[in-house]
Amino acid sequence: MNIRPLIPVALAACLLGGAAPAPADGLAVAAADQKAFQAFFKDRFPTLPLAEFGNGPYAVNAEMRKQWEDIMQFPPYDFALDEGKTAFETKFANGKSYADCFENGGIGVRQNFPYFDTKTGEVITLDLAINRCREANGEKPLKYQTGLIASIDAYMAETSRDKPFNIKIPDDPRAVAAYEAGKEFFYTRRGQLNFACASCHVTSSGDRMRGDILAPALGILAAFPIYRSDWGSMGTIDRRFTSCSSQMRSEPLPPEDPAYRNVEYFLSYMSNGVPITGPGTRP
Amino acid sequence: MKRLLVAFLLVAAPAFAADQTAATAALAAADQAEAQAGQLGNRWVPAEAALKAARAAAAKQDWDTALIEATRAKAYAERAVEQAKEQKMVWQEAVIK
Repeated sequence: MNIRPLIPVALAACLLGGAAPAPADGLAVAAADQKAFQAFFKDRFPTLPLAEFGNGPYAVNAEMRKQWEDIMQFPPYDFALDEGKTAFETKFANGKSYADCFENGGIGVRQNFPYFDTKTGEVITLDLAINRCREANGEKPLKYQTGLIASIDAYMAETSRDKPFNIKIPDDPRAVAAYEAGKEFFYTRRGQLNFACASCHVTSSGDRMRGDILAPALGILAAFPIYRSDWGSMGTIDRRFTSCSSQMRSEPLPPEDPAYRNVEYFLSYMSNGVPITGPGTRP
Repeated sequence: MKRLLVAFLLVAAPAFAADQTAATAALAAADQAEAQAGQLGNRWVPAEAALKAARAAAAKQDWDTALIEATRAKAYAERAVEQAKEQKMVWQEAVIK
């Protein structure tokens, strides 16, 4: 049998196999990434328990923690929390409510977001799920990043406090691809200042950047949404990604852009085991 | 006097036209470079700002400013493209292992 004509086909198959690993391989890579990621931060902050990483800069700087404890006597997100609870419990015009769109009536589920939806083949964040719930019930979507969506997000986070991140990557090549895209985004330098997310939140975590203490990437999303003094208002994860991009002199992407959703997926998966602390407050 | 004016216009017109032509060409080149940066998901804030300033100047027929800003925008956009291409090759070196 002449096998020569088959050689290019076999070579192509090998090359394609190399470029796109099988989902099971991708899942093994993601699990190894998570183990190495958490080990890095445990090594960098050896006295810090995993649960503390959800407190960001307050976990790694004693002076900031003291200020934060004072601020928390009257948490600045309290008004948003009340507004979010009221909105969450108010029925839509069709008589349904947010509770009808979420598992467990939307109570205590923040730790499972974002998730990969195998039906639509995309990462679904909590904010996106809130707006899709509204649209499915004939309501207009809310403006992303701040305002009412951050308040509803805050209420849902508050009902999930102390529940550890529990992000899953399904055995689906699209989910692995979304995870990998988020990972690439996190480690890629961009913008005029040539910074990656990792430049601040991995190698410089715990250090000062002018007046700020850089939060470790491990557990960095656990406190969202946050009241940020710099903003003077509440903001979602999306808002923070946008402002980080601008600070690096990189044009921000639109809210809930797939690239932002993927990086949220990657970071949340890296933080599995870190309890939800949101809503939070930051300088 | 009329002849003098006609002579002036004949001499000066190509100079004005050259400015406009150069500025328009620079704007097109900057747009193209910025589009490429966008395709790579790496548009820079100063590139966008310079491009906006160039367009605004062109709308006012301020060709000198349009040329300067478009040239600046193109330089930023080309650096952004270069950065994106380079990062595509090296980002994995930064991954925690």
